Amino acid sequence: MNDSVFILSIASAVAVATPVLFAALGEIIANRCGVMNLGVEGMMLMGAVVGFWAGIETGSLTIAMLAGGLAGAGLALVHALLAVTLRVDQTVSGLSLVIVGGGLSSFIGTAGEPGVLSAPNGVDVNPLLPEAIRDLPAIGPTLLGHDIIVYLAVVLVGATGYVLYRTPAGLAFRAVGEDPAAADAAGIPVVQIRYLGTAIGGFGAGLGGAYLTLAIVGTWQNGVTAGAGWIAVALVILAGWRPWIALVGAMAYGILNGLGFTLQLAEVDIPSDFLKMVPFVAAYVVVVAISASPTRARKVAAPAALAQPYARESR
Amino acid sequence: MGRLRVTPRGFAGPVVRFGVPFAALVVALLIGAALLAVSGSDPIEAYRTMFDASLNGWTPLTRTLALATPLILTGLAAAIAFQMRVYNIGGEGQLYLGAIAASWVGLMLPPDTPMVVMLSSMVAFGALAGAAWALLAAIPKALFNADEIITTLMLNFVALSLMNYLIFGSQSFWRDPQRTVPGGKRLPESAIMPELSGRLHFGFVIAIVCAVGLWWVLRRTTWGFQIRTIGDSPSSARYAGMSVRMKTITVLAISGALAAIAGVSEVSGVSKGLEPNSLATDIGFTGIIVAVVARSNPLGVVPVAAFLAAIATSGSRLQGIGIEVEVVFLLQGLIFLTVTAGEFFVMNKVEVVAAEATDASNESGTELAGAT
Repeated sequence: MNDSVFILSIASAVAVATPVLFAALGEIIANRCGVMNLGVEGMMLMGAVVGFWAGIETGSLTIAMLAGGLAGAGLALVHALLAVTLRVDQTVSGLSLVIVGGGLSSFIGTAGEPGVLSAPNGVDVNPLLPEAIRDLPAIGPTLLGHDIIVYLAVVLVGATGYVLYRTPAGLAFRAVGEDPAAADAAGIPVVQIRYLGTAIGGFGAGLGGAYLTLAIVGTWQNGVTAGAGWIAVALVILAGWRPWIALVGAMAYGILNGLGFTLQLAEVDIPSDFLKMVPFVAAYVVVVAISASPTRARKVAAPAALAQPYARESR
Repeated sequence: MGRLRVTPRGFAGPVVRFGVPFAALVVALLIGAALLAVSGSDPIEAYRTMFDASLNGWTPLTRTLALATPLILTGLAAAIAFQMRVYNIGGEGQLYLGAIAASWVGLMLPPDTPMVVMLSSMVAFGALAGAAWALLAAIPKALFNADEIITTLMLNFVALSLMNYLIFGSQSFWRDPQRTVPGGKRLPESAIMPELSGRLHFGFVIAIVCAVGLWWVLRRTTWGFQIRTIGDSPSSARYAGMSVRMKTITVLAISGALAAIAGVSEVSGVSKGLEPNSLATDIGFTGIIVAVVARSNPLGVVPVAAFLAAIATSGSRLQGIGIEVEVVFLLQGLIFLTVTAGEFFVMNKVEVVAAEATDASNESGTELAGAT
């Protein structure tokens, strides 16, 4: 494999990792305050279609991304209503989000003239840094040639880690996820925090979806996420709810996902259908391996009250 | 102004258990109507068209039931797992495996094999393949408590790529070399489910038998009782000496087999060969909606599957009046959502009480969290 193949595949891995990373960060925040939201795939689809549409209408990347994030957050609030207020099974509620997000996004995709479905991309996504820096050997094209959103994602990894573990607000979030009854007794507003955490989670997924259509695929198609939301859900578990590990995991996904492209350039012949399996097989293997590991890293890391509804009277 | 008071129900009577999901369906259709109106369509015309296309008359009805056939089976697959609070989200992949295995049997056995032998071998092999695929998630779940939601889901994508490879990615045994557009070899006549009426085929009978059989097993046998006990409380089931691990494996294997039979029924009764594009239409996923709406009752799965199939089958007709097919997915999602929300009202009694009565009643009830 020569240098340019390697450089191209790293560059594409970074881009592909970004939407999954946004979604995973959001899910970490939601899970940390005790809300399991399996609806990431649906929220990403909402972000993908609404973000893409907003891009067509306004031509602004910022507005398009925000619109995508808000669409994801809006759907997440439905989950909050079901899971936090109505205390229904969070697994079922999350799955319903996947179906609703899939249905609603394809419905929205038919809107407009000539229709979001067939419209060309409305925004240009340009590299952030000047050309002189991007032309640096090796690190230029792989790490420095990306658009602002990629760097924003990395900044958010640090910010999420800092806020969750180094600030009083983060402590309150984690307290609600570990022991809502104790948090409630300490005067922390459990319900409000869970709503907020779920909405932030949806915002992250929506950002990821919007980035996917705006910067990677460049069009909207029904079900464009093709499992990326589920990868994000798996990634959160694999990363043990730690943002920096999620960054590493997202990069690993990006590399595995781009493996076909890389091997094609390197003229290795593997059927593309097998290459498409690779990230999913990897996620399967790692989930099983982590569960089987004697250290039980997973159990230690999971928020104690994850997916458990909180009702005051059952304290 | 009064306040809402929520009291958990000890036991929900039949009026509540059937009434709430039914009310939820109505709410979903109303929300759907509102969205249709907002997007500039006439919701009444849309629903009348859907009714005419799916339920009004014998031919539309058989078309609906033909579409309901695989949904009954994937619905049962999800339902038996739900009964034990295990989540099999892998119906989609298990269905593909069933289709792949059944079409292999159908093409391998001599075409003059008697139909009874042929079809039963296809069902048996398909079911085995689906069960084996489900075991890939069941065994790690039983041994290490590996999250079956994630594993079954990841396996869906693997199975889809596998099926695509067999038809689009290679000159496999399943692919018809004569056709320019990639497609599966056509099954011999003996491997095709007999027609009942119009598009309705024998697979429907298999689905009904499975539904009744599963209902009987869950309601009338010790094993079924144990499954439901584990679902209610795994720790007390373990205390009573039940083997939760073994049952996790068996239940997921049966679940996988049921989803796979849906795949067998589709290749044998509908596409008559391995056709990925006609199989990968979210039948497995829709089965989860079916099971949730039917509240995991095997007998309830049948009418719910028929109802969702009625919505799906009218999709193409909607285009005739200028409404996109996507409305179908939207309605299915809304139904899932409202019925899920309705579960709260099955489990809890919600009353409006006068403000002054609230203090006195606080010991038994709570206000609705977040609603105040």
